[in-house]
Amino acid sequence: MRQLLAVTWMSLRTVPARWGSSLVVVIGMACAVGALVSILSMSAGFLRTMAATGSPSRAIVMSDGALGEWGSTIAHDEATILSDMPSVAHDDAHKPVVSADYFAYTAVSKKSDGQDMYVDLRGVSLQDPKLRPEIKLINGHWFRPGKYEIVVGKSAQDQFAGLKVGDHVALPSGDWLVTGTFQSNGSANESELFTDVSTLLSAMRTSTYNSMTVRLTSPAAFTQFKNAITSRPGPALEISRESDFYAEQSKSFDQFLKTIAYAVGGIMGLGATFGALNTMYSAIASRAREIATLRAIGFGGATVMVSVMSEALLFCLIGAGLGVLFAWALFNGYQHAMGGLVIRLAVTPMLAATGIGFALLLGAIGGIFPAARAARMPIVDALRAV
Amino acid sequence: MKYLPLVLAGLLRRPARTIFTFLSIVVAFILFGILSAIEGGLAHQLDAARVDRLIVDTKFGTQLPLAYLDQIARLDGVTVVAPRQILVGYYQDPKVPFGIIMTDRRFFGVRPELNASKDQIDTLLKTRTGALITVFTARRFGWKVGDKVPVISNTIRRDGGHTWTFDIVGIIDDMDRPGKARYFISNYDYMDQERVTEKGTIDRILVRIKDPKRATETSREIDALFANSAAPTRTISEKSDRQAGGISSIGDVGFFTRAVVSAVLFMLLFLTGNTMMQSVRERIPEFAVLKTLGFSDRSVLMLVLAEALILCALAAGTGLLIAKIGVPLIGDVSPDLGQLLLMPWSALATGLAFAFAVALVSALIPALKAQRISIIEALRP
Repeated sequence: MRQLLAVTWMSLRTVPARWGSSLVVVIGMACAVGALVSILSMSAGFLRTMAATGSPSRAIVMSDGALGEWGSTIAHDEATILSDMPSVAHDDAHKPVVSADYFAYTAVSKKSDGQDMYVDLRGVSLQDPKLRPEIKLINGHWFRPGKYEIVVGKSAQDQFAGLKVGDHVALPSGDWLVTGTFQSNGSANESELFTDVSTLLSAMRTSTYNSMTVRLTSPAAFTQFKNAITSRPGPALEISRESDFYAEQSKSFDQFLKTIAYAVGGIMGLGATFGALNTMYSAIASRAREIATLRAIGFGGATVMVSVMSEALLFCLIGAGLGVLFAWALFNGYQHAMGGLVIRLAVTPMLAATGIGFALLLGAIGGIFPAARAARMPIVDALRAV
Repeated sequence: MKYLPLVLAGLLRRPARTIFTFLSIVVAFILFGILSAIEGGLAHQLDAARVDRLIVDTKFGTQLPLAYLDQIARLDGVTVVAPRQILVGYYQDPKVPFGIIMTDRRFFGVRPELNASKDQIDTLLKTRTGALITVFTARRFGWKVGDKVPVISNTIRRDGGHTWTFDIVGIIDDMDRPGKARYFISNYDYMDQERVTEKGTIDRILVRIKDPKRATETSREIDALFANSAAPTRTISEKSDRQAGGISSIGDVGFFTRAVVSAVLFMLLFLTGNTMMQSVRERIPEFAVLKTLGFSDRSVLMLVLAEALILCALAAGTGLLIAKIGVPLIGDVSPDLGQLLLMPWSALATGLAFAFAVALVSALIPALKAQRISIIEALRP
């Protein structure tokens, strides 16, 4: 072990003499890891937003086969039946804590580039503040039923123009007044506008809801709730635990983001690995005599191999660190609109670990061949010239 | 040209180093090629957008009444108006939902790029459950003319079922994007008679106008018609519709590709620079010999630059060609991804230009070093 440390320390001390080529490994890895982590930060931010939206103690009910809330319809009388189901939580006034939601949308323009985007307007029942307690008004007042008033999510307000308190938003039956702003732990709801569902339904001249969300008496009560609905007469419905629903909804898009991240990061990493191979081969070539001397005075081949490997890994580690730092400084917390959904990019410790692990893996590939060659270098040939 | 053997000898002096550098550059330009294919695919869709087409959507999410069609058709300068209702469903795999365009004969008047023959359109309209599909759709699901295709949809039928059956009566293609357009077109009447809710409504109206210059004006006229109705409209040109589509899902694609390309080029700059620097440092005595033989300082400089240029150009060319050949193959593995990608030939030119720039910038310092070598210093034992 002492041998190992001595040799490694010795080889590292020769680095300043060839810092130019070592820098190539560092910069190559920094670029590859930077790209990987930056794109993954989009996925992490997206997942965080979706996870913040769903709660295990809420259930969401949609029509059978619906691919999302937009494509679902719940009839008016069906909604009443659903709120009377067992396992639905009740408030102090013995009213069920449920919300039957209806969606409309409106076009707004992005502040950054003026591009038009659609944002969702979610009509919710009066019980909504009890159903979604994470939604907190940060200024203004909650919309009043019967008035054309809306409250706006903080993220939507930050990203899109014309959504400040006091602004008027173009919606059916004239302009609707923004009366307040809300936050909700960075959930997807923060990208939405909320209003009273009855007012919205009559403005849209319809009576059918899109979805129904209920608070369960406890997370464990979900099965009972689901069974009660499935065994009742009437059209088949799709019942999901809200947290599962959002996890399921985010899966395919997240997969898409991750594929892009690993494809781009992987290709760049491959390029950086070739650079590392190059650097390490030339490093051992320039130290051939030194390595042969070490071997001649009794240091083992394995010791030499480990020292070369650790040099390669060290550079990759520094590069990865720089890459992660770069991605973090540039993108962590950056607000980004994916269509109407606003997320905050997140460079999490998990991502940092992924980036560093990725670089070490590539470093191991780029270091092992030169290291093996160093260990097998014929001592006599290398020393002949002396 | 006569110095070519000398340049090659310089490159092959240490084959391992040259090969690793070569491979790095190849890989980087494969990535460059794929990224330009993403942008190229988007740009192609935009170019293919017809300037004489308007899209009338609902402004707030309500369905549009069929009666709007006649009102729009009466406007000045409007040539064709077509209804569109999307029926969303899946075939066998619930994870692969797609949209079926429910419309009528007028749809083909708005979209002349579809090569459906008059016979095919007539057969479609005669067969209540008939459907015309594009080559892409046919290949994706393995359907052929005469097949009966059950599609499971969220839209309920009169009999309470969710299964909509279609008869494939013809296979067509979009001449603007042959082999890539994913159409599945059927009869609006079939859907409207069978469905229970939202009868007599559509989700989009397609409009063709005589004079593209009047597009903005006509859009305003259309929206003004329905501004005070229960279902106001939002009319935009086909181009702005596609532009919004390209930016929406992950954000600005152009920004993303530019950022990655800059990172890649930055990395290459150091990589090639280092290779050239090492190579020049090792060959100092050789350059001195060349100068002794009568090579001017300038020609030694050019020699080093030429080495870098040849290395970068060959490697970049290889990478770009691999990308050009490989990108269409992505479509075979994943049709969803493949239809978005199109690597234009111009990307090859841009790529090579970048390669030249990288070569020149990265080789400049080593080349100047070689130029400044003094014979006496270098050859002193």
